[in-house]
Amino acid sequence: MKPRTLAALAVTATLAVVPSQASAAKAKKVTLIGSGSVAAQPYFLSLFKAYRTEHPNVRFVYTANGGNVGVKDVQQGKSQFAGQARTPLPSDAGTTYVKGFLDGMVVATNPANKLTSIGLPQLKDIYSGVATNWSSVAGSGLTSTISAFGRDSNGGQYQFFNTAVLGGAAPASRVTPFLSDGLVANAVAKDQAAIGYHGLAWVTKKERVLKINGIAPSAKTIGNQTYPLTRFIFFVLPTTNPNKNVQKFVDWVRTSAAAGKVLTKSGAVPAFNKKK
Amino acid sequence: MVSVAPHHEERPPRWSDRRVGILLGALVCGVLVVIAGMLVVVLHRAWPSFQHNGLAWFGPGGDVDEQIRQISLSGQSGTKDSDFTWTFHAWPLIWSTILITGGAVVIAFVTSLFVAVFAVEFAPPRMRAVLDPLIRLLASVPSVVYGLIGVLVITPFIGNHLISEGQKASVAFQIPLTGFSLLAAVLILTVMIAPLMIAIFSEGLRSVPQTWLEGSLALGVNRWRTFWKIAVRTARPALVAGTVLATARALGEAVMLAMVSGSVGFAPNPLDGLLFFVEPSRPLAATIISNSEDLSNPPMSSTLFAIASVLLVSAALLSLAGHLAKQPMKKYGVRS
Repeated sequence: MKPRTLAALAVTATLAVVPSQASAAKAKKVTLIGSGSVAAQPYFLSLFKAYRTEHPNVRFVYTANGGNVGVKDVQQGKSQFAGQARTPLPSDAGTTYVKGFLDGMVVATNPANKLTSIGLPQLKDIYSGVATNWSSVAGSGLTSTISAFGRDSNGGQYQFFNTAVLGGAAPASRVTPFLSDGLVANAVAKDQAAIGYHGLAWVTKKERVLKINGIAPSAKTIGNQTYPLTRFIFFVLPTTNPNKNVQKFVDWVRTSAAAGKVLTKSGAVPAFNKKK
Repeated sequence: MVSVAPHHEERPPRWSDRRVGILLGALVCGVLVVIAGMLVVVLHRAWPSFQHNGLAWFGPGGDVDEQIRQISLSGQSGTKDSDFTWTFHAWPLIWSTILITGGAVVIAFVTSLFVAVFAVEFAPPRMRAVLDPLIRLLASVPSVVYGLIGVLVITPFIGNHLISEGQKASVAFQIPLTGFSLLAAVLILTVMIAPLMIAIFSEGLRSVPQTWLEGSLALGVNRWRTFWKIAVRTARPALVAGTVLATARALGEAVMLAMVSGSVGFAPNPLDGLLFFVEPSRPLAATIISNSEDLSNPPMSSTLFAIASVLLVSAALLSLAGHLAKQPMKKYGVRS
């Protein structure tokens, strides 16, 4: 009984596999190796998945070891591409940065807070420890001590926030660092006096998203880069002899309508993709 | 007629004792080599950090988070050894580790002992049937789950109900009092390690020879006194073993503590009174987690490996201390 069942299974399996093998045999199997930005990893994973449905012969290996390390990996030839969330530095010699898509950082407070908009200088005061009480932030309607939440130095959002808001300085010691964007969002929802920053994809209904300098974060304002806390996620390729298949993938991410849909769904904002 | 002996009787058994002995021995030696290799690698990579700081590595001085930042920055911009910053004074992290681990182990020890005594001697059989598997289940829950309970329930409660607005304002320029605190860390760590202790304590208490207890009961001594004076005393080696294991787990706990301890390189000060319990800190293991992305950065990696080696050596010393403490108890003690 058992061997017969097995044999039957084997036959069906072969029958099912044969056609797909035949079509896959046309294109050679390829593995693309990347590393870098942790902030970009969730976007990349959805992009990889979508790309594989169109090109089943391509496999991806992506190690989220931080943008700076990813660029070093590309310089040393360990990775074929890197994900990076900051603009190029002189130390990135030998690599080419390609703008992939846009990512917005959201600043949010607890719904108990009446504040609707905040300016970058005010935000800087809060995170550098100058303003410690909500009474010094007009419009908040609170008089409690500010609970400022942020990311630990592992997070791509941490570097982005420090550069964009604090002018490159580190946040004050009174800012509580968290392991992930999701934990920041959770802490903001639980503490009435809280303010926190995280990626657009992590916004929940239990927090109030603030306008920055009067502009609310949305696909539109991030897409046309009027929202101040907007950044590009870059693909970093070696300047000489970049891998053809990687280039093909990057072009697909940048231009195809399919990739645009995937990006929107995962919380990023497409920059150059065709609408349809 | 020639009778042919069955084939298998002629051949020696495939897994002879000798062969098994050699194979298992080789396997164990292999494990020992791996452990020794790990020690060498960790200490080798940690060495530059100790070399540049000397004994001051363990001492207080400056803001440890700022030091970590400078080390990280120097590693990103520099390329050779002389470019790097090394200054690192780990005292706030060590102090936090001592406080959190110590606090949790002390509380867990007392409660676990009483729970184990109850479970072994006083619980009705039906309750015991539920209690034992439950404790085993709790002992195997991954620490992240405890961390989640911490950030969803414990820290918001502490932040919203146990800390007054005045207290928050009084230290607003230095540290955050948001519920992510020593208290939360100790509480959750206690819940995490207590089941492990209870399980080992119970095993020890159960293996006390019944006749010893019966002798005492026959003399008219009541159950509580008998159990406390004879069973618990005899099971002392098991108490030590359980405590050592639980302490080792507490020392190495990283993810959960990074989630609830507040993650600030601050040394909670007992002179602050009640505020002490709600002050944030960050133990050694959590520091490795929060900076793990910098592992490929030479000075930072060395600093992180130095932290790891301190944890490794403390775990080894702990184990040794446990072994030494057990020696005088062995005479009448049960094995564990």
